[in-house]
Amino acid sequence: MNKKWGLMATLLFAVALAGTMIYSVIEVNRGSQLRTLKGFINLNVEAFFKDPRVQQILADHRFKVDVTRIGSRDMAAKVSTAPGAAQFFIPSGVLVAQMIKEAAKKLNLTATTYNPFYSPLVVASWEPVAQILVANGLAVKSGDRVYDLDLGKLIELMFQKKRWNELREHQNYDVTRSVLVATTDPRTASSGAMYLALVSQSLNNNEVVTDRETARKLAGRIAELFTRQGFKENYVNSVFDDYLSIGMGKVPLGLLYEYQPVSHAMAKKAFPAEAVLLYPKPTLFGKEVFVALNEDTKELGELLSTNPELQRIAVEYGFRGTNSTLFKEMTGQVGFAVKEIVVDVVDPPASEIMDEMITVVTDAMK
Amino acid sequence: MFKRAFWIFLAVLVIFLWAKHDPSPTPGSNRIEAPDPAALSILATSDLRDAEPLAGLIQQATGVKVQFFFGGTMESADKVINGKAGADAAWFANAKYVLSDPRGRSQVKLQDKIMFSPLVIGVSQSEAQKLGWTGDTKVTWRAIAEAAKAGRLRYAMNNPASSNQGFMALMGVAAAFADKPEALTLADIRKQPIRDFLVGYKLVGDNSSYLTAKFIEQQGAAVNAFINYESWLLSLNRSGKLREPLTLIYPYEGVATADYPLLLLNDAKRADYVKVVDYLKGPEAQRWLAENTLRRPFNPDVAGQVAKLFPTGQLLVELPFTADRAVADALLAAYMNEYRIPIASVFVLDTSGSMAEAGRGKSLIESLYFLAGADDSPTGRLTRLAGREQVMLLPFSSEIYPPVRFDIPADDQARATVFADIRRYADRLKMGGATRLYDATLAALKLLAGEKEKRPGYMYSVVLFTDGESNTGLDWAGFQQAYTQLPRLAQEIPVFTILYGEGNVRELEKVAELTHGKTFDARQVNLATVFKEIRAYQ
Repeated sequence: MNKKWGLMATLLFAVALAGTMIYSVIEVNRGSQLRTLKGFINLNVEAFFKDPRVQQILADHRFKVDVTRIGSRDMAAKVSTAPGAAQFFIPSGVLVAQMIKEAAKKLNLTATTYNPFYSPLVVASWEPVAQILVANGLAVKSGDRVYDLDLGKLIELMFQKKRWNELREHQNYDVTRSVLVATTDPRTASSGAMYLALVSQSLNNNEVVTDRETARKLAGRIAELFTRQGFKENYVNSVFDDYLSIGMGKVPLGLLYEYQPVSHAMAKKAFPAEAVLLYPKPTLFGKEVFVALNEDTKELGELLSTNPELQRIAVEYGFRGTNSTLFKEMTGQVGFAVKEIVVDVVDPPASEIMDEMITVVTDAMK
Repeated sequence: MFKRAFWIFLAVLVIFLWAKHDPSPTPGSNRIEAPDPAALSILATSDLRDAEPLAGLIQQATGVKVQFFFGGTMESADKVINGKAGADAAWFANAKYVLSDPRGRSQVKLQDKIMFSPLVIGVSQSEAQKLGWTGDTKVTWRAIAEAAKAGRLRYAMNNPASSNQGFMALMGVAAAFADKPEALTLADIRKQPIRDFLVGYKLVGDNSSYLTAKFIEQQGAAVNAFINYESWLLSLNRSGKLREPLTLIYPYEGVATADYPLLLLNDAKRADYVKVVDYLKGPEAQRWLAENTLRRPFNPDVAGQVAKLFPTGQLLVELPFTADRAVADALLAAYMNEYRIPIASVFVLDTSGSMAEAGRGKSLIESLYFLAGADDSPTGRLTRLAGREQVMLLPFSSEIYPPVRFDIPADDQARATVFADIRRYADRLKMGGATRLYDATLAALKLLAGEKEKRPGYMYSVVLFTDGESNTGLDWAGFQQAYTQLPRLAQEIPVFTILYGEGNVRELEKVAELTHGKTFDARQVNLATVFKEIRAYQ
């Protein structure tokens, strides 16, 4: 009896040992097949790539992703054929993606783009401020802590240099500052440039600006919406920091990507009292464009766009992905009546028109 | 038994007091420490010295060794813009200047704001009540300027020409009174309210520790308000050293807020920088900063936990910052040459035999040249003699030579002519003879007291420069005795003493103490730099 058990134990031990060894050999093989892909990404998607679950899923597909965060507008200059150069880019916005594609073309690289996630531009605000906008016919409540913002009317008011305390029913926000939307610097940050695009379209009878002359003329007018802000941040997360922490006194209206307040609310299960979201009509989508420069990275772009688990995690970071009902489901409990489908979305002008407008605004900002 | 407890108590007390001891650092001077190439070096402005203990916490939590170097506000900003920071990162109260300049933007690889504190006005409680500035009362910048003009608000503030805080306060007043509240241009700046506001600027300096020591001494009739960051004023109220607490006033039109961005300059240190920022914005560091430095956290979770440390119910309206450097420069030039209470001072200059040694005389002449416009660097422009200023040079050796007086014209061209006269005068200084230090100092005080009687609308001070000790005429005891006999007007004039060469440290410190002045050390640094530093206190 004893002998038999002893033999069994020895056998079991041997099997376990062999199993472990085989397993580790497989592991090592798998490990050696990991494809390390180097890329430059923008700030918006940095937290997503740092998430260990994302890294695990990528590893399961034999990807090891080595990402460095830089400003979107600095990316085109980093396209290179040198060994060790980045194999993919994730800029914020189609305009910069276009610049990267053009830079790649010059170097005879084939660039393929994917649109795995996006986030509409929103204006973050506060209940007392939103109520003034409603009282003055600029906004309409469309759900819990969410409003539709008439961008055309707001622009008109800003050009009239109205101050908050000159508007009807301002008693809960009795401030002498001018009505302005706080944005990033359009020279350095995508969201600032997107604002320029959005306002240009609104002033152009809601048509995309297509000629240089109109672009120059409109940008000349729009420039004051930037210069009058005084100092502007270079990163959109700084605008969100100010909004969240310094609050209504500094940022009554702040141009953000929807993912910023939504991811914060999802992570914290709460949002500051009186914080509200305004959806401008029209608005633009901030697209996180994946630009692949080789076969491996094309596969990665495909994976990011189609893998349901990656798409689900992206929603946790506030992004909208390829499945719009998923976004609505997952954001249902955050306390905002976020819109399942954002309507009245426009496209930014072509990149040479955008460049023209940014040049004009840059000159005005000295 | 009791005896032992007593000793333990004493030991704890000593450790406690030692830990509380604030070495009150000299402004503008970098800590002498060799840079460690493995460390993340951070060039920080001196107001961040209170955050220096974080270095240990950062290393513990992230493994990254952080080395702080401190510098003055404007000078550090210029270093970053010109790519001469000599550090991997920079940490300033704000980086608006640096980032408004295209050269500055190209230096900054990453940036993240760590904490914030609004610039506010602390008013002695009893005075705030008399002014009706209590509870939810709206206090406008107009009301503040009027109170200053009427002599009811007498404040301490860091010098706008050399410190970020003073400058931001000046911008605040300028913005609040401009016809349009943003994108200030020169044409928008209304002079009279700025002048009114500056009537109340009674305690001038370039270092919050210095101003605080003076404020504690003089709180009451001489000064009753302090303009500084909320964090500094809350710490002051907490210290228990004030005669009465300060009521914090958040001007209605808005304030300027310091938001302490950490800027990455050296791309090779990106990974370390990211680790450090993640830690600094995390709960442990944010809580440490809130509790120990009373700056407000950006981390919303921590903000909730430490809310009780900060006044509530204040809407922190932010005044838009004019990014236009030309406007800023013009505003500062106008501050110095038009708005501020003009300076009247005597420079008491040792020209004894020892000054002939090894370039000492040359250093003195260079310093006078710099005062007279020869230094065209940004700091040089802000520390040269300014329009409406009255300056007297009083050289001495074995005897006291006749004082020479220069009235600095407000007009640029006329000023250039006077500057040329001053430089010619400096060139003719002869070194030789003994050191009649105390008689000369006494003479300077009497001279200025006479001026002050005739023309009270100036800021009076004496600058005492010597490279040795008194060896003829009055000695320290004699000076002390004679000082008590001086009229009250003379005793109100501070003497700023400069340690140089073999100057008698103890005695010069005693002179500064007796006259409520300050001692500046030029033994290790360039003399002209020290002259520039003193200008911010005049």
